[in-house]
Amino acid sequence: MRVPFEWLKEFVPIDVGASDLAKRLTMRGFEVEAEEAVRPAFSDVIVGEILDIDRPAGTEKLLLCKVDIGRDVLPIVCGAQNIATGNKVPVALPNTRLADGTVIEKRKVKGIESYGMLCSERELGLSDDHSGIFILSDEFRVGDSLSDALGLADTVFDVNVPPNRGDCQSILGIAREVASILNKKVTLPSFTLVEKEDPELRMSLAVLSPDGCPRYVLRMIRDIAILPSPFWMRNRITKCGMRPISSIVDVTNYVMVELGQPLHAFDYQKLARARIEVRLAGEKSTFRSLDGVDRKLEEGDLLICDGEGPVALAGIMGGENSEITSVTKHVALESAYFNPLFIRRTARRLELRSEASLRFEKGIDIANADFAAQRAVSLMHRIAGGTVVKGSKEFYEKKEPRTIFVNLKKVGELIGMPIEREDIIKSLQSIDIPVVKREKEGVVVSVPPFRHDLAEYMDIVEEVARIIGYENIPATVPISRLMPVRQQKMSLTASLAKQYFVSSGFYEAINYGFFNEKDITRFLIPEGDTRSRCVSILNPISQELGVMRTLLSPGLLESLAYNVNRGIKHLRMFEVGKVFYKADGTDSDSEARPSLRPGTPGGSEEPHPQAGTRAYAEVRRGERRSDNEGIQRKANRCEPLPQEPVFAGLVLTGREREYFWKGAPPELDFFDLKGVLEGMLDSFGLSLEVKRSEEPFLNRYNASDLFIAGVRAGWAGELKQEVLAAYGIEQKVYAAEIDLTIVAAQGLEERKYQPVPRYPSVIRDFSFIIEPGISVGSLIDNIKAVSPLIVSVGVFDLFKREKTSVAFRVTFQSLEDTLRDESVNKLQEIIIRKLTQIEGVKLRA
Amino acid sequence: MDVKTLKEKAVAEISSIKSVEDLKRVGTTLLGRKGLFSEYLQELKTVNQEQRKSLGQAINELKGWAEAKLQELEALYKKEEQEQKERESRVDITMPGNRPLLGKAHPITLTFREMERIFSSLGFEVAEGPNIELDYYNFEALNLPKDHPARDMQDTFYVAPGVVLRTHTSPVQIRVMERQLPPIRIIAPGAVYRHDQDISHTPMFHQVEGLMVDRNVRFSDLKGILTIFLHEMFGENVPLRFRPSYFPFTEPSAEVDIGCVICGGKGCRVCKETGWLEILGSGMVHPEVFRIVGYDPEEVSGFAFGMGVERIAMIKYGIDDIKQFYYNDVRFLAQF
Repeated sequence: MRVPFEWLKEFVPIDVGASDLAKRLTMRGFEVEAEEAVRPAFSDVIVGEILDIDRPAGTEKLLLCKVDIGRDVLPIVCGAQNIATGNKVPVALPNTRLADGTVIEKRKVKGIESYGMLCSERELGLSDDHSGIFILSDEFRVGDSLSDALGLADTVFDVNVPPNRGDCQSILGIAREVASILNKKVTLPSFTLVEKEDPELRMSLAVLSPDGCPRYVLRMIRDIAILPSPFWMRNRITKCGMRPISSIVDVTNYVMVELGQPLHAFDYQKLARARIEVRLAGEKSTFRSLDGVDRKLEEGDLLICDGEGPVALAGIMGGENSEITSVTKHVALESAYFNPLFIRRTARRLELRSEASLRFEKGIDIANADFAAQRAVSLMHRIAGGTVVKGSKEFYEKKEPRTIFVNLKKVGELIGMPIEREDIIKSLQSIDIPVVKREKEGVVVSVPPFRHDLAEYMDIVEEVARIIGYENIPATVPISRLMPVRQQKMSLTASLAKQYFVSSGFYEAINYGFFNEKDITRFLIPEGDTRSRCVSILNPISQELGVMRTLLSPGLLESLAYNVNRGIKHLRMFEVGKVFYKADGTDSDSEARPSLRPGTPGGSEEPHPQAGTRAYAEVRRGERRSDNEGIQRKANRCEPLPQEPVFAGLVLTGREREYFWKGAPPELDFFDLKGVLEGMLDSFGLSLEVKRSEEPFLNRYNASDLFIAGVRAGWAGELKQEVLAAYGIEQKVYAAEIDLTIVAAQGLEERKYQPVPRYPSVIRDFSFIIEPGISVGSLIDNIKAVSPLIVSVGVFDLFKREKTSVAFRVTFQSLEDTLRDESVNKLQEIIIRKLTQIEGVKLRA
Repeated sequence: MDVKTLKEKAVAEISSIKSVEDLKRVGTTLLGRKGLFSEYLQELKTVNQEQRKSLGQAINELKGWAEAKLQELEALYKKEEQEQKERESRVDITMPGNRPLLGKAHPITLTFREMERIFSSLGFEVAEGPNIELDYYNFEALNLPKDHPARDMQDTFYVAPGVVLRTHTSPVQIRVMERQLPPIRIIAPGAVYRHDQDISHTPMFHQVEGLMVDRNVRFSDLKGILTIFLHEMFGENVPLRFRPSYFPFTEPSAEVDIGCVICGGKGCRVCKETGWLEILGSGMVHPEVFRIVGYDPEEVSGFAFGMGVERIAMIKYGIDDIKQFYYNDVRFLAQF
């Protein structure tokens, strides 16, 4: 809402500067987002009066004026013909600068001395009008600065009006707040309404939907002239961000901004049977609004109709069929109160928002409709002439004002400071909330009709707090019970995993939760795969962000490509974030992930004892509510929401680092990736199991599926070249994704102490030649299975010629005694026998 | 026997030592099994009893002296040898070190972490909720019925009728209150989505929601908790401003500003010449919200607040472009 300071001053005496007032409005909840200084485009033009006009001989079009400028009377030559003796006009004296930068000089025109210039609106930068000299109102005083006289130097506040304060979408509304701030009273605009009986112009009014239109006031004015409105009105309308159109339309806009009452002017002669009917649309039809667009109407839209059909979409926009045109003679003026819900529903559906609908949607002052209509017709009369028809047609379904009981003690308790009873009452009265009844515990206040936001005592508490000033309320520390702060397993897991990756040299990426559906095809995900069934956005920003992601890697690859393109070719990145799987309707899937089930963020915590019907947990926080507490969980009746498991995604490419002077760092490969995953899981007390992966986007010879305690938890491996090419990456990239919800469910068990061995361990090395197809992992498992005394099996060498040679280091350890050579030797023999029995495994000589 | 000669010989031998080799040789010559001292001590057997004792004493004294001397020299040579080795190990200490590889957490993560630290120290627990949320939780239960004008403030992504991408973290308030009884002290960090993409908006960003419900929670407590938080986050000296605002799910509502950290409150482009930066929205939980979750607003009161994590990170680190958070440019990430 744009509020010109000079206009505000008409409603309330303001004895502080504009900036000061702006700050105080902001602290009242009406944030002044900008204070815009409006300055005239000219300098030093003054008001003059034409005393005499002469037509010098020998000139065709020139007029020689004698102009009184207060301190002097000057001869000024003028070319325009629209002036007359007695006119007040803007006078630019020598050295005055005009809007286009021209500086006026004393000069001779056809031998006649001219001491200045009379100006048009365009020359002053006030409008595009250059049809003649700008004739000023008679009220102006000769010799005054034109800028002051027109109120051109002004400050316009751009006020961010809260959506619940529709009443403040007007100068009057803001003025009410200002009056309360400055401890002043608001003065309404005063005018005298001159009406005449008119036997000819008659209207009939019928409101068929009192629910949609509880008040409708209809007034008429005849024989008006459609002209441009006077400068002062155009100036204010322009400052408020609207475009002046013509006298009648400008008045409706002017009064709307001034009083907050949207008005609509109909061309009386275009209203069939001189009738206005407010009713709901019966069935689907179309209606051409005054902007020339055909609007589709639906059943229930609130319409203004004449004797034949719709002439306006109530409260939103008038119709082309009844709009004011340059030939309009008589005007029927509507000043109504429409039900905000009706207006909102239609405006929203049609995506049609007007200055009027914006105000109706938020609720206007129903009590003010008649006053606004009177104000408007009197202004029309003033600027467009004509005769105001006596009386009005009106429908008004009056309602009792709402009252609210305010427990005065509670007000202070909720705000957190003691407040005197009388101070509360005075505060409320300052914003037109009167006390209608005093009781022992508190007072009953009456809500003024323009305050649609006040429904219960908390709203009144806010008003009191606002008027006292938030800055005057102390900052206190709550008095509450101490309770331990626990961390949910899932968030702890995510946080620890992030720390592990960071300490392993990975940069953290954060990507949007949505991606391109094409990412699915780029990753060669077949139909039917869970990850191909994305949750789609119905109204996406673009196709690139059209569906919720089911994989982290596409985002990570984009991040990787971004960096590679900027010369960073050796890189590790990770992301920990949610992916989204469509719910398949059965509940069994979500049961499998108890800690993840949407809607039960704390699902992993143990159930608490039933809380009964108490409204407060006396024992401990987090006490679960039982279902007999009377809450209707409407939400539970809906279909299940998609699943949102938290995954960790990793990508790595290039070398550990680009170079190092002690020797070239090796290229990163599958085992760097696997190692990080092993290490991460180990930090949760879990171990990683792998199987060959069939993921379509991985090089299957360099890829594995990941398992935790037998449950598949993800994949890791080298991405296929064609996948990388889709992201513009030409170098090898290893990637992995692992489901952290499985980690959270399995890991983080309480650690139990294992005695530290007191006896020395024995180490033996073994070397085997193995055929292709024999996995080292299976040999390790075989060795481990030989005896519980084998505490670790490591691979310390591997080389490939025609056949692969692998060397194991096996550690034997007993907790009971020192192992003797003979027993280790026995185990050694078993290991060799067991392994060499496997086809394709030979002991290396 | 001539102890004097022995002494002269020993002194001569020891002073002839010029190297480790000499030391070894002299050691053998003097103290070896067939060395000079052994020779003399052997010979002592032939000396008569009266002399034997005093002679023996003199020889042993002399031997002790020689041993000490040789040990001293040995230590000296060892030290020299050590020093020599160290000299040879000399490195150019200005060469680059071999750093263990360390990655970086995203500044959003760092900001979350800091916020969680502060609030958990005040007894607030982390709670979470789904990103894909029911209209009911995102709007309706927060006192934002279907036709409410305040829905204009948020452009919503829909995934199905009645199902949205949450536009704020506030639905977590409702989920927590539905699940448990007061007292409640939680914060809810997470991603939120709005249909908005321009120079200062990304369609996804992050928020932290806070909720405290108990008996006798006052508006002044909201001011107190948020003052502690903002002073921890931005320093004790940052000026704060609480001013009235409107949110459908709080009443009274307050917007909180901090003094502009760029211009120090004088007014600049970043604070739009106001000297203040909007940092969070807050308020007392609306009684209607309590009724919706089945709490009695006569019995309990509470406050809630919500803030944008990107915004806080931008102010904290002086980042001037919100898009930087989503390029994942290593040159950006490495700075934090």
